[in-house]
Amino acid sequence: MDLARYILRRALLSAFVVMGVTFLVFVVAQVVPSDPAALYAGPRPNAEQIEKARVTLNLDAPLPERFARFAVSMATGDFGVSYKSRRLISQDLRVYLPATLELAVSSTLLALLIGIPAGVATAARQGSWGDRLGSLGSILAVAMPTFFFAMLLQMIFASWLGILPLSGRLSREISISDPLPFITGFNLIDAMLAGRPQVFVDALWHLILPALTLAAYPAGIAMRLTRSAMIDILSRRHITAARALGLPERRILYGHALRNAVGPALTMIGLSFAFALTGSVLVEIIFAWPGLGRYVSDSILSKDFPVIAAATLVVTVCYVLMNLVIDLTQAVVDPRVALK
Amino acid sequence: MNRREVLRSAALVALATPFAGNRWTMALAQDGARIFTLAYPTGFPDLDPATSFSNDGAVLANVYESLTRYIPGTDGAPATVNPLLAESWETSADGLTWTFRLRAGVKFHDGSDLTAEAVKGSIERTITIAGGAAFIWYAVTGIAAPDPQTVVFTLSSPQPLDVIAASGFAAWIISPAALDKDNAWFNAGNGAGTGPFTLDRYEPGQRVILNRFAGYWGGAPEGGFDTVAFEIVEDAVLDQSMIEGGQADWTYGLPYENLEALQANPDLSVLVNPSFETLFGMYNTKRAPLDRPKVRQALSLAFPYDDVIMAGTSGMGSRAMGVIPNGIWGHDPAAPVPNTDLDAARALLAEEGLADSGLELVMTYATSDQLESTAGELWKANLAQLGITLTLQPMAWEAQWQLAKADPATAQDIFVMYWWPTYVTPYDYLLNLFHSEESPVYNLGYYANPAFDALIDEAATLSGTDRARAEAMFIEAQRMVIADAAAVFMLDKPNIHIIRSDIKGYKDNAAYGHVVFVNDLNR
Repeated sequence: MDLARYILRRALLSAFVVMGVTFLVFVVAQVVPSDPAALYAGPRPNAEQIEKARVTLNLDAPLPERFARFAVSMATGDFGVSYKSRRLISQDLRVYLPATLELAVSSTLLALLIGIPAGVATAARQGSWGDRLGSLGSILAVAMPTFFFAMLLQMIFASWLGILPLSGRLSREISISDPLPFITGFNLIDAMLAGRPQVFVDALWHLILPALTLAAYPAGIAMRLTRSAMIDILSRRHITAARALGLPERRILYGHALRNAVGPALTMIGLSFAFALTGSVLVEIIFAWPGLGRYVSDSILSKDFPVIAAATLVVTVCYVLMNLVIDLTQAVVDPRVALK
Repeated sequence: MNRREVLRSAALVALATPFAGNRWTMALAQDGARIFTLAYPTGFPDLDPATSFSNDGAVLANVYESLTRYIPGTDGAPATVNPLLAESWETSADGLTWTFRLRAGVKFHDGSDLTAEAVKGSIERTITIAGGAAFIWYAVTGIAAPDPQTVVFTLSSPQPLDVIAASGFAAWIISPAALDKDNAWFNAGNGAGTGPFTLDRYEPGQRVILNRFAGYWGGAPEGGFDTVAFEIVEDAVLDQSMIEGGQADWTYGLPYENLEALQANPDLSVLVNPSFETLFGMYNTKRAPLDRPKVRQALSLAFPYDDVIMAGTSGMGSRAMGVIPNGIWGHDPAAPVPNTDLDAARALLAEEGLADSGLELVMTYATSDQLESTAGELWKANLAQLGITLTLQPMAWEAQWQLAKADPATAQDIFVMYWWPTYVTPYDYLLNLFHSEESPVYNLGYYANPAFDALIDEAATLSGTDRARAEAMFIEAQRMVIADAAAVFMLDKPNIHIIRSDIKGYKDNAAYGHVVFVNDLNR
């Protein structure tokens, strides 16, 4: 019962966040100095073309009317066309969003799989050489600028060792001569659906370096957070009691201590997932990964408002959903959360 | 390293073994002899031949063809307009009627024949949509197709229609079957041209794939390419490693300072050609003290022309002789452009009562444009010696343009930008940049000179019938702008392309910026 009410509360809050963001996006677009008509009219428009675009875009309509139109189209998922490319934004998002999600999800998983066990392991052997090495590693992972880490990985694994691809989502032999059909846009899933295991492996291989790059920062922080929370929990009396009962250390660490300690790390990883959706521009550029980050940063530079609005909204929804999932996970892992 | 890490590394190595041996860096080097790959540093925003007005021309020029093609002048040889879909053409004595005879036996990719109706329909579609560069046809009042091989254009004023028809934008001829298709259809990766390649696939932000069109009227060269892959790679470092590693055959946009190392690489050729792109700064002629020509002249005298060419382009750029670059008719090799002379600048400023006046000026330019920023920095240093403070204001193009269009009284002092022609005529530069405008669009120095306006307008009407006379008038008009110091003409940008040395037949054509006509090439 408590859990159900908790879920409802969180869901309502999420809906409010989305509505608020929609409103803010519209307001910001009015405040920022730019001329959408000039943008829509093409790369080097003349005065008549700009005037024509102003009429087409209905830019002279009163503000409330324009907001109403905007809100309705956003709510119905009709994001309209990009001022700059005049392509349907929904069509572009269908390409860019899966590419980014594939990267963000895999880097988040990597961060979880590396950061949390490493945090537990170092906390369990506090002060050992392993602990110190781990701390050093986590500091490096957090402190090293993303672009530098990316180039370092490219240099080692692609240029020197030649065991991992330099860039792209698939090998060029595949994308040029024998392309994967576009089903979901997630290459890993599409390769499985198309029954092409070698393409699946190829896609996975291309994913490793960019995902590792993106995972470094959240993994480092998650490790630090888990480690300090674990150290705190491990000194508690219920752990002493469990040890006195002779429970296996593994079960104490992962079964009892981690449940109480994992909260902050989970929250942090959730936040970093949301960040990865648009904040991975550098990684996307360096690895020639056609993702949302590049799409949005280009649109910001050119003040392509419909794209900014659509992307902001999509990212907000992803973020809110992710947060919801994390909150619920925490409520399940640590029931005290739902009661607060 | 703990046990798990050892295991993880071992697993990675084991999994990687079958892929080792530079599988990833070899890519298409061997089996891809018939694939020409371009590492293209920008995306292709619009593949609709009617509205495309950007780097998309690189793709479209291999899929579609226009009636004519412009071949720039080189030292000694004058520029020419060559036949393409049109075999020959003539103009009436008054320059108002142009008759084009079409090449016989040309097929569209869908199998239909090239006819006069198709030409008429294509250009009418472009004019009706009125996007992109459609304005190049502004003087066309009617298009007739008296027989399947003849197209007749009637104009409201004499224009060089042969040159206009060679434009890299808005002049493509499309199949009658595609005339009713919308922008979205073309941008979904559909094509309908007569060119040597068909549009196979477009993956926005990633690549465009073209395949050879077996029915191409011009045939294919020995050892020509079957497939053209435009790989969109925005990161210059990656572009460079692709061309060095043989994963790409052609690229551009690499930093000037890297070019020396590339020139030393026997696998690569670095081709430096003049471009039609010129860099200049327009002075705000509507606001004191830059409303006085002598003050503007002084600023132009303080511009470090040679230093900017050296530092900004590693010496590969060339001095701008006014606004019309070399290779375009109307270029004035003897233009009286100022040379850097700080003493003369100081004297002029003193004459205007501005010696060590503590003058403060703002120059706007496009964020992340390295060349513009270098030019600004070096100029700033020179101006500082004259007691003038130049503030460099990098802005996103949209914002820079917006500020300049709003109100000259509150706008920048110096607006820095590049210009290149839509079709090859001096009128395009002079009209857009210096013809007086009621509300400014590209005349962002707000220059207004009725004598200049009249001169270029008249030259434009003559350029269809008496090109020699028109050229003389354009040069005269250009000298007016130079004498008035309406702008500082910084430099003509070089066109630098890097290709693999084993590619043969490559010729740069500045009239089609960063376009490769792949059917000319072989390996």
